[in-house]
Amino acid sequence: MSAKTLGSATPRKPVLSVSARKIKDNAADWHNLIMKWETLNDAGFATANSIANMKISLLSKDKIELESRSPACDENAEQRPREYSAELDALCEELRATLDGLVRPEVPGRVGAAWLSGHRGRSSPLTASLGSTVNMPRLWGPQRLLSPLSSVWTKIQVKMEKLSSTTKGVCELENYHYGQDSSRPPLFHTWPTAHFYEASRRLSDMYGAELLLKRTIVDGLAHTADHDLSLTYLSLWLHQPYIQSNSRLLLESMLLE
Amino acid sequence: PPQQMTQDEPLLAVQAALKKCFPVVEEQQRLWRSSLSDCPPLLASLGNLAEQLQAAQNLRFEDVPALRAFPGLQERLRRKQLEAGDAVLDQLGERLAALLNVRDTVSSHVGQVLQIYEQHADAIGIDAVLQASAASPSVADMLEWLQDIERHYQRRYLKRKYLLSSIDWGDLAGIQALPTAWDRISEDEHQDLVPDILLNVSFSLEE
Repeated sequence: MSAKTLGSATPRKPVLSVSARKIKDNAADWHNLIMKWETLNDAGFATANSIANMKISLLSKDKIELESRSPACDENAEQRPREYSAELDALCEELRATLDGLVRPEVPGRVGAAWLSGHRGRSSPLTASLGSTVNMPRLWGPQRLLSPLSSVWTKIQVKMEKLSSTTKGVCELENYHYGQDSSRPPLFHTWPTAHFYEASRRLSDMYGAELLLKRTIVDGLAHTADHDLSLTYLSLWLHQPYIQSNSRLLLESMLLE
Repeated sequence: PPQQMTQDEPLLAVQAALKKCFPVVEEQQRLWRSSLSDCPPLLASLGNLAEQLQAAQNLRFEDVPALRAFPGLQERLRRKQLEAGDAVLDQLGERLAALLNVRDTVSSHVGQVLQIYEQHADAIGIDAVLQASAASPSVADMLEWLQDIERHYQRRYLKRKYLLSSIDWGDLAGIQALPTAWDRISEDEHQDLVPDILLNVSFSLEE
């Protein structure tokens, strides 16, 4: 660890400011990654929604007016015949491949723009994306969407490793300098360094669980014939049950410090 | 203490009060419209959430092998869905508060005009009160319109408040029916009452 080697050789003050900057950078990186995640999550919802609609419309075709159609049928999709079945399968295959991280993400088109700009200023509440689950147009293929999502995740993992090592390093450094001395000055306003490590650990756990869930949703979504299950998959995607509401608070307090 | 007035002065005082009141109504009507137009998308969101809650309730999570690996998923999802629902309800509550504010503002201005009229009613005399001209409706008409407007906002506000206070997450079908119920309230109303009245007085306000 560079922070550590520096630390043992140079006087206290510069060391601390180097450590402080590292943690600050890490917090900022977290912020950017989570903003990207949210952007992609919104876009992914549109895609997942179109898959679900396609699926439901295929289903209602199969039933051939036996019963009144499900209200969740996309009007356009309803008019389309069975060849969608093939397209659906293709989409799902691509989707799975990208999710497995086998395809290196290239980030084309609209998603790409959102991805690169990172949507920094965007902080819409969850409900803002609560559009109707019906009538959502198909905007782009899932493969375009989920590869950047995977890539964000890869970055989060890398970040996590970096955080573990640098933050731990900073903690050790502090211990070295101050020992058990309780008067050790916090690097930031109120948080001891270990808090930063815990915070990012918790964020990382949440997003890790959520990505697993998303993989499951992608696998399951196109292969269910059940309306309740489809809708629940979509709802799971939208509401991100493993990302606790306090994560934004956690992130914001980290940035504030 | 009332000053010594010439014969026209009481009438002029009432007309001046009316002249001040209608622009207030016009502004409040704008606010009312804009708050009201925010509501249907929010109600649609609520209906949509109720549909999601219903679907998750119908689903037996333990029967979906892929989901078994996720501990507490059903409860977590439900909590998130209800949180989202509360957030929408908060937004609706803000709109309702804005409607209430319109009602109160209009009521208070109309009340002031009526008070001024009552102070001067004897001095003005019934003939002058009923006197309309090419340029202006009669004082009596305008006072009646203001009271119509006041009642109108009161009724419309109460109906919506009642509908929103009936929202209950135990009744998902009821929540899904909210947008229709809301539209029905709007259809029952005489939508153009306020704009029509404002149109009637607009000419005399222009001077």
